[in-house]
Amino acid sequence: MSSSKNARLLTAIAIPLVSLVVIVVMWDLSVRVFDIAPYVLPSPERTLAALQDDWETLSAGAVITSKEFITGFLIGAVAGFLFALAMSWSRLVQRLLYPVLITSQAVPIIAVAPALVIWMGFGLAPKLTIVALIVFFPVVVNVLDGLAAVDKDLIALATAMGGTRWRIFRSVTLPATLTPLFSALKMTATFAVTGAVLGEWTASTSGGLGVALLEAQSRLDVASVFAAIVLLVALGLAAFGIVALVELLLTPWRRSPVAPTWRTHFRNRSLVARSEPAQGNSPAAEMATP
Amino acid sequence: MSLTLSGISQSFGSIEALAPVDVDVASGEFVSIVGPSGCGKSTIFNIVSGLLKPTTGSVLLDGKAITGKTGHVGYMLQKDLLLPWRTVLDNIVLGADLRGRATPRERQRAADMAARYGLGDYLNHYPHALSGGMRQRAAVMRTLALDHPVMLLDEPFGALDSHTRLLMQQWLLDVWREQQKTILFVTHDIDEALFLSDRVIVMSPRPGRVQEILTVDLRRPRDVHLTAEIPYTSLKGHLLDLIYGRAA
Repeated sequence: MSSSKNARLLTAIAIPLVSLVVIVVMWDLSVRVFDIAPYVLPSPERTLAALQDDWETLSAGAVITSKEFITGFLIGAVAGFLFALAMSWSRLVQRLLYPVLITSQAVPIIAVAPALVIWMGFGLAPKLTIVALIVFFPVVVNVLDGLAAVDKDLIALATAMGGTRWRIFRSVTLPATLTPLFSALKMTATFAVTGAVLGEWTASTSGGLGVALLEAQSRLDVASVFAAIVLLVALGLAAFGIVALVELLLTPWRRSPVAPTWRTHFRNRSLVARSEPAQGNSPAAEMATP
Repeated sequence: MSLTLSGISQSFGSIEALAPVDVDVASGEFVSIVGPSGCGKSTIFNIVSGLLKPTTGSVLLDGKAITGKTGHVGYMLQKDLLLPWRTVLDNIVLGADLRGRATPRERQRAADMAARYGLGDYLNHYPHALSGGMRQRAAVMRTLALDHPVMLLDEPFGALDSHTRLLMQQWLLDVWREQQKTILFVTHDIDEALFLSDRVIVMSPRPGRVQEILTVDLRRPRDVHLTAEIPYTSLKGHLLDLIYGRAA
């Protein structure tokens, strides 16, 4: 069973890798076959060389950009989640906050970026705000959907069982938001990287990958531009991968018929296994399982 | 523990959904309610469970009023309403978690009971991995784990295929006998009502009211062969007359 599991895991990783390799090969082939000049489209090989040459600047830039998009992503996700909870908590709050929500999405982020720089300066704040704004809306909408989708009969049942509003929220409503929340997070994980670059372009003193892009552009150094793009793609993929991994760990019921041991061990450690539960007394236990 | 419905009625605005109903359910008795849609079956359940406050009348548990108060009786619907992110065991102890946190003792009791009634191999399974019948078992276990002497079951087997339903009815009778519960059971199925119950309450609609209460004095324990015997079929004939009227 374990070996077939490993084989499944291997194919799950191998197949996406194959498609990535195919893209790189097609890139390389089109440069060779159509004889594209290196200052128009550098080959993967030249891009890699540029990546090596500028590694110090680029890796430092990647670290800065990562800090921006990760922090902004977390701020946007937490704010969006709390916003959605507040909206579901009472009708009045929902009516008050809905216009704010729609407005936040209607404002073009590129247009508001210069204003953010004027208000917040050239530091981290405007970049975090841009990233957070990008993440905010999808999280609110998805979590609200998840909250609205909770079966009314389930709430009635939990109430009939004697649950208070807070405990029903904790045990019944809150876990129901996990799946839609992660749909939104996966969707926005890659957008967040774009948001960080956008932020760097409007207030470029931090020295992130966006700044490296602008500098390479001013030198007409296409290979360096591509090197920065490759790094940005890698960041986006890593962000998506991490979110997907966390989702995998937090929502095991979506893939597995049985709870993984690490989730049940703590709760069930006190359980005594009774191998022969009241045999003979109970025809019910022996009956064919429907 | 005995359950008394004393003159409970329900009006929504000017519409009378349920005319005053008086029913006494003795301790350990199995009573079914049958009747067409709109006869007030669900309204009675919502009142007894405390979700709905009746316009008039009161609900008594061993003489003590529980009108409009939740958390005194077990309650189960046709939908199993198991939480997909909880294992079978965690679903069974949901009631304890809603009152605080399930203690190790409560978990142990739930696990023992689940094992006794055929869910022992599925304690750590998620509900989606279970068949319809097994899911309903888990839902019944969740209701049992609340440890209320009175259980309200609202068409619990309505969504199951007929074979599974028959097995589940047998299974429920075993659970009921061993756990000595008082059960109020709603169903559309006349055979189900007769097979399970000590008494059958026949209701009629607009407004919902009790038409007749039929005593089912058939031998126990019961098995499927009972349904082919004359005392059973004559009771069923009587019940059909009550609900559909005597054919001309």
